[in-house]
Amino acid sequence: MEVQSVEICPTTTQQWVKKGALLVDVRERDEVATLAYNVPNIVNIPLSEFEERYMELPKDQELVMVCRSGQRSLKATYYLRNQGYTQVVNMQHGIIRWVQKGFPTIGDTSSVIEKSADSGCCGTPSTAKQSCCDTPGSSSTACC
Amino acid sequence: MKNIKILGTGCAKCKQMESIVRSTIAEMGVEATVEKIEDIEKIMEYNVLVTPVLVIDEEIKIKGFVPSSAQVKALLA
Repeated sequence: MEVQSVEICPTTTQQWVKKGALLVDVRERDEVATLAYNVPNIVNIPLSEFEERYMELPKDQELVMVCRSGQRSLKATYYLRNQGYTQVVNMQHGIIRWVQKGFPTIGDTSSVIEKSADSGCCGTPSTAKQSCCDTPGSSSTACC
Repeated sequence: MKNIKILGTGCAKCKQMESIVRSTIAEMGVEATVEKIEDIEKIMEYNVLVTPVLVIDEEIKIKGFVPSSAQVKALLA
């Protein structure tokens, strides 16, 4: 099988979703209760339960790992690959970027938007227009 | 000579672990090499889902929390 890249962006994730990929949200339950991805195929396996529950995930379906910023889900992506899952990728930048892109969610988006704007990138104060992951001055406002 | 690795992607807890481990080693006078690993691919060679992780002689001893100096001493004794 062709080796897939490890990470894809939220826009590409939309295409994967349309093709039937399963989103795997590794955020904790309270985070999901506040704000959830609104896509047809999604499961929530919090990272704190992941070692015990990862085997619930199908090996014959494309999986896109997601979280808040893309950090926790990246670990889960590598973890699954180590367990023999080949059709698994991480979605970069998490629900923060997903919301900024205007993609569908269920719940209160203000928490994500307010937090990202307040803290800037990587916890350091900055203006909303700056980001450590993107070219300064780009339209993106997300934090890594 | 102990081989110590601290796995972490640069978060505050990872830095705290590194600081505690280094100061404890100095305090005990243990001969050890300390390596901080921040590359996610190298971290995931240890197949861990949470960080920080303390690896001593290629064995995972602590994962997911910042240990006390006493805990680190016990592991190095």
